Amino acid sequence: MAGAGIDAAALDRWIRAFAAAITEHEAELTRLDSAIGDADHGANMTRGLKAVVAKLDDGAATGPGALLKQTGMTLVSTVGGASGPLYGTFFLRMATAVGDTDTLDGAAFAAALRAGVEGVVARGKAEAGDKTMYDALAPAVDALDAALGGEDAAGALSAAAAAAAAGRDATTPMQARKGRASYLGERSVGHQDPGATSAALLVQAAADTLG
Amino acid sequence: MSTLVGLVVVSHSRLLGEAAVALAREMAPGELAIEVAAGLDETTFGTDAVAIAEAIGAADSGAGVVVLMDLGSAVLSAELALDLLDDPDARDRVQLCPAPLVEGLVVAAVTAAGGAAREEVAAEAAAALGGKQAQLGAPVDVGAADAGEAGGGVTAEFTVANPHGLHARPAARLASLVRGLDGAQVRVRNATTGSDWIPAASLAGLTALGALAGHRVEVGVTGPAAQAAVEAVLGLASRHFDEPVAGPSAPRPAAPASTQGPLAAAPGIGIGPKRGAEPAAPVVPDEPATDPAAERERLDAALPAVAAEIRVARDTTARELGEEEAAIFDAHLLLLDDPALLSDARSAVAGGASAPRAWSDAAERVAAAWEAVPDPYLAARAADVRAVASQVLRALVGGPDLVPVDDGGEEQQVLVATDLTPARPPRSIRSGWRVSSSPAAADRAQRDPAAGPGGPGRRGGRPGRARRAGRHPDRLRRRHRRAGGRSGSRRAGGLPRPRGRTGGAGGAGAGACRGPGRHPGRVGVLVGANVGSPADAVAATAAGADLVGLLRTEFLFLGRTAAPDVDEQEAAYREVAAALGGRRVTLRTLDVGGDKPLPYLPLPAEANPFLGLRGIRLAEAHPGLLADQLLAAVRVAHETPLSVMFPMVAALDELIAARRALDTAIAAEGRGVPPGLQVGIMVEVPATALKAAAFVPHVDFFSIGTNDLTQYALAAERGNPSVAALADPLDPGVLRLVDAVCRAAGERALVAVCGEAAADPLAAELLVGLGVRELSTAPPAVPGTKQAVRELDAGRAADRAAAALTADGPGAVRRI
Repeated sequence: MAGAGIDAAALDRWIRAFAAAITEHEAELTRLDSAIGDADHGANMTRGLKAVVAKLDDGAATGPGALLKQTGMTLVSTVGGASGPLYGTFFLRMATAVGDTDTLDGAAFAAALRAGVEGVVARGKAEAGDKTMYDALAPAVDALDAALGGEDAAGALSAAAAAAAAGRDATTPMQARKGRASYLGERSVGHQDPGATSAALLVQAAADTLG
Repeated sequence: MSTLVGLVVVSHSRLLGEAAVALAREMAPGELAIEVAAGLDETTFGTDAVAIAEAIGAADSGAGVVVLMDLGSAVLSAELALDLLDDPDARDRVQLCPAPLVEGLVVAAVTAAGGAAREEVAAEAAAALGGKQAQLGAPVDVGAADAGEAGGGVTAEFTVANPHGLHARPAARLASLVRGLDGAQVRVRNATTGSDWIPAASLAGLTALGALAGHRVEVGVTGPAAQAAVEAVLGLASRHFDEPVAGPSAPRPAAPASTQGPLAAAPGIGIGPKRGAEPAAPVVPDEPATDPAAERERLDAALPAVAAEIRVARDTTARELGEEEAAIFDAHLLLLDDPALLSDARSAVAGGASAPRAWSDAAERVAAAWEAVPDPYLAARAADVRAVASQVLRALVGGPDLVPVDDGGEEQQVLVATDLTPARPPRSIRSGWRVSSSPAAADRAQRDPAAGPGGPGRRGGRPGRARRAGRHPDRLRRRHRRAGGRSGSRRAGGLPRPRGRTGGAGGAGAGACRGPGRHPGRVGVLVGANVGSPADAVAATAAGADLVGLLRTEFLFLGRTAAPDVDEQEAAYREVAAALGGRRVTLRTLDVGGDKPLPYLPLPAEANPFLGLRGIRLAEAHPGLLADQLLAAVRVAHETPLSVMFPMVAALDELIAARRALDTAIAAEGRGVPPGLQVGIMVEVPATALKAAAFVPHVDFFSIGTNDLTQYALAAERGNPSVAALADPLDPGVLRLVDAVCRAAGERALVAVCGEAAADPLAAELLVGLGVRELSTAPPAVPGTKQAVRELDAGRAADRAAAALTADGPGAVRRI
């Protein structure tokens, strides 16, 4: 994390980078979702994040908390699928954790991230191993907390991104127990989870922009 | 405390959400708040927590909100929406309900509309799958709220108020209601006779209860939706199963036969070969059954085929005679689908009987059970069962058609039958019978459905009902319209009269017949048609009617759950007008009363609906209904000559109020007074006839409903064979009332007659002699009436009429 800490401008970069990554991977997300879901994850996330970026362009939100809240609310209203309330909750809980702080240090950012992930759990009632976005987010926040002790911010976020990617990959052999994929039962085994995939992109975007 | 729990529907699809609400609204019309938060837009699937939060806010009027969701993110978004609510109290008033969306919403709407608290609404909704599960044999989840009553069920009791008890039609209404209930198993027993419990879904069982007027019927319901089911059943019972009750017209089946001999069903004398209408009963062949599976298949194939036949008959009857008449076919359809009857027949088949034998025996058992009921009216319903049974047998084994439709053609024949059941499709009578002047009992209804006797398809054999006037002494028909263009001029103070601008055409006379071309006869009498549907209007034109003298608009209002809106009415009136090709249409505003309650127009039960809130009185009580109808009429009047006629007017104030409503409609339409618009009243109330002069300044015409005027004047109902002979429109007392109207009207207003008397040549002569200048009859009677009018001599008619006024009775009138 930048020496000066994470401010609204940095969060703005993070979210834009996430949006760019989602757009870039839209086809892949859709492909993954068509295997075990309803093939709308890529389109839904792209639509939601385009709306988020449009809001950022408006520049109405000032300060980290307001920016995160605006992002969460926009996702809630525009994604449509389950990732709407889940990612929306993630950002809204982050916003609550941030409060009206102007600049976050590494620990504060990590705490906010954890609050967001806990929100996802509360909303989706997912547990580790259910083959969901939580399987990418949980190892990421754990890795971030662990790394913050020794490594610099950039290193810590890279470790988190690596953990998210590993968590994402680990969903492939899992059997889905949440969401529409769970209807497939054993047939969901062997496919990488699209939610975990987009979640890994979120963490990677953080490593790319906040480190 | 009258605040209702609001509902919010969360769905991925806006179309789905809105359709689900429409479905639920059918069950719970009214002010219940149901908000939809569904789809990201009209076409994009998705859910939006912000929209849900807003919907919750909109639906909550203080009593809280129950949210129903479809799948997946709908649940997540709804949960998130709770987080988005700012007010923690508001959040506490929201209950997310795990019910399946469609079933749950319907139950929730019904429960919430009933004023239940949100916990109860949510619990009832959550148990909404119970009915389907029970039906399909799955284990039933009993909702928490229902656990208490799931064991013993809910019981209640009602007293039968229908004059003929729970006969086929009310029983059919109850059976169809019960079959439509999810989550409730309804049984009933006759507590007065101490009968066994029977499933209320069985029409045969219901009728065999022998529940007569005054009997107490016990209702027992189990299942998760028991409470709602009980309320639905009691609600239906309190509406007398949507059947007219009481009133001077209630037919008395047990009444002694009239001492006057048979009642004429139509004027005139007909001579022709006798046509036996009794269908030869199909014989059950003495054939061995093939294997049970094949016999079962045979039976199962015959039933839908017969159902299709009945539906055709039903539609025809509904179109020609009205929904009420057609309702008996619903009972027949239910019989075909009666669980008790079917399982009896099927188990006989399973036991080795042939399909015809099994069906015939099972049906006969039901018929016998009905026959055993002490009430003669109900017992006579066995004929309905046998008729339907024969239809099925015919489908199974073949056999002669009901009434040979072969010959006959235009030849007049006399139909002889002890019972004309509805199972006989009207078309078979129609095609074989000429209706223009045959007195055959059955054909009268075709000439004037609303007035005639049972009518072909209908329950013929009903004693006392030969003249179906019974149930609503047909408040009749008529209309008005003035001849040529006299208009405008006279008119005193009072309301501005729309008419006026009519055709300045020409004053006077001009032959009184504005109708294109027809000769009304030497005295200038218009002959119009009474119609009750666009199809009738086509028939009216084909018959050469100069105008529609009476458009009964009830056809638009009966048999539905919501009143027709302005656009629908306008379209229907336009259709009638189009059929008339520029000839005048006399539109009578809605004429119903407590005998014919509409589901959307709750009317208090009245001991005597024919002396109660009906016609214009009802319109005053429901101004919105009248306003819509008048607006539709005004719109059509801008394009075609149209007369508006108000029914059952007894006081000048009523007419003035109605004319104000008409002025309001004209103003609302904003195009000025339609050029051909005329206004008149029905004269059915004797007092109105006697004070007609007071109405003259405010009307263009009077239309005398001789059927009702006669009944009201003589205090005798035409449907009651014991007194029907009294209700003679040629009674000098009635003629004096007509005379009073004609004298008051003078040259200032046209006097028309739209009762059945108009079709009787003798009566027509007297009416014209008194000053009536328009006669309106059922379409088939138009040519005959025109002929009669052409032939009459004005001077002689006036002399006869004058003599009739001083005769001592109708017999003397006829001898003049």
